[in-house]
Amino acid sequence: MNKFIASVMLYCTVFTVSASEVKLEKFQVDTSVLAVERGVDTFMEVCHGCHSLKYVFYRDLAALGISRDRIAEWRGDSTLEAAMTSLISDETAILSFGAVPPDLSMMVAARVGGNSYLYAYLTGYYLTSDGEISNHVFPLTKMPDALDISSASDSARRSELQGKAHDIVSFLSWAADPHKAERERMGYYVIGYLILLSVLLYNVKLEVWSRLKT
Amino acid sequence: MTNKIIKWIDYRFPLSSLIKHELTGYPVPRNLSYWWNFGFLALFVLILQVATGLFLAMHYKPDAAIAFDSIQHIMREVNYGWLLRYMHSTGASAFFLVIYIHMARTLYYGSYRAPRELMWWTGQGLLLLLMATAFMGYLLPWGQMSFWGATVITNLFRATPFIGDEVVVWLRGDYAVGDDTLTRFFALHYLFPFLIIGAVVVHLVALHTVKSSNPSGIDLADKDNIPFHPYYTSKDFFGMGIFLIAYFIVVFFFPHSVLEPANNIPANPMITPDHIVPEWYFLPFYAILRSVPNAVGGVVAMGLSVIIFAFMPFLDRSRIPGGGRYRPVYRIMFFIFMLDILLLGYIGYVPATDQTITIGQVATLYYFLSFLLLPFISKAEDMWLFRRGLPSNILALIASEEEEKRIRR
Repeated sequence: MNKFIASVMLYCTVFTVSASEVKLEKFQVDTSVLAVERGVDTFMEVCHGCHSLKYVFYRDLAALGISRDRIAEWRGDSTLEAAMTSLISDETAILSFGAVPPDLSMMVAARVGGNSYLYAYLTGYYLTSDGEISNHVFPLTKMPDALDISSASDSARRSELQGKAHDIVSFLSWAADPHKAERERMGYYVIGYLILLSVLLYNVKLEVWSRLKT
Repeated sequence: MTNKIIKWIDYRFPLSSLIKHELTGYPVPRNLSYWWNFGFLALFVLILQVATGLFLAMHYKPDAAIAFDSIQHIMREVNYGWLLRYMHSTGASAFFLVIYIHMARTLYYGSYRAPRELMWWTGQGLLLLLMATAFMGYLLPWGQMSFWGATVITNLFRATPFIGDEVVVWLRGDYAVGDDTLTRFFALHYLFPFLIIGAVVVHLVALHTVKSSNPSGIDLADKDNIPFHPYYTSKDFFGMGIFLIAYFIVVFFFPHSVLEPANNIPANPMITPDHIVPEWYFLPFYAILRSVPNAVGGVVAMGLSVIIFAFMPFLDRSRIPGGGRYRPVYRIMFFIFMLDILLLGYIGYVPATDQTITIGQVATLYYFLSFLLLPFISKAEDMWLFRRGLPSNILALIASEEEEKRIRR
């Protein structure tokens, strides 16, 4: 059977986007609007040059509660109705990095480990003994160390960059699942209602069955 | 006034007698446990899936170029689109969970025994339809797992004798899974629920002919039957409340637990995911497929592992009703079989290594042996229990069932 599956795979040029099996630390992401706002700021500065967010629109940021003035700073000439796409073309990206930078709209949802993976990846850059930059989580990555965390030697600078990485994850976590807060808020009401309904239905059942003579 | 309207209708359509025959006067054994709620729940989930699916179809685009985008459109832009989609994706898992419990109850209590063989077989047909519908629905988000899952599974049909390659092309509508496959899977994913509804009607007509089984395993005397409405409507609605709590906890708080991360990456024929894994409800069968070293043998074994349930009425040769309730050996076999299925599910989930393949092969062997040895074991158990002397209440059940059979003949 494995031969069978292997033959399926051989139809195509096989190269896998694979992360090494590093144990990820469990990472609690700050999902407050403030953290997301800082995340957009860092994202626009560090990531947006190459990475698009084609499913996220500038107006979504306004709907989240970020001020229009802030958004105007980020969007430049794009309209509020525009998607947050980057300016780099695929051809330029391939020339510079050897790969098309993936769209990040769904990145948190598209990786096993989600937020924890992304945070560990962004902060996982280090200098090898040969002075090369590598990544603990994804050694084959083609992305340069955008936050320059591999050269940060003193702990103050390091924790500042970790904070920035955290903000980026906050933003991308929201971007991948923008209705999460609304969903969970609604969930408490729905579950509460259903518990009440079930109690009532149980009493109806008891009442109906009490008519039965044993 | 109401009476007049009902009279008017009754003259033209048997409304009152239908309600009386199927609900208020339909006799149901009074001793059903909550395990008997799952048939109703399956119907309820079917309705949920049809309802959410209808509204999803209003926004979804079955075109390989924009299918993935249209899902994101539903999730982000459409009002409560995320709720519809999470209800539908969670509903698929809920459907299988409910059906598997429904089947496990049938197996445990021996509800497949005469005269309910047709219930069991139409149910078996419904399971196959459900599997096909779920499989085709899984392609629609057009993510990596959608694409590669469909590629691997359609490729299995290459095992068809003589015309294997043609069958695969016929299923896909192309040499590889692509736009044509997506469009036809969408059309069929919309059609199949109607076939399921039709088969459910057949299943229910058969049920209302033979009536519900019950934990005692025999048909009860008239005085021990109660009308479906209001007794079982009230009980089923309470069960529905509990089901909805569990279902909506997943929908609102853990909707991603039933979605594979790799499926949030758009389908790409050039990149194979590290580890192609089917949805949880197919894992035991997938493990059986992988356990057989030969490709054709694996496909045959997988098909047989689903179909073999249909033979239960012939394989179980015990005269004692009530299934596992009164039969200690059968009861132990049932629980070990359940553990075996869970083990197979785990083996189907983890990447194949020499060790997991060996465990999978042993579990597969056990899976088939529990069916193939059942005629001998059930006969031996039957003889042993009779020789040892059965309690008088069980002997009374058997006598009453014999009586029942004589009358029907």
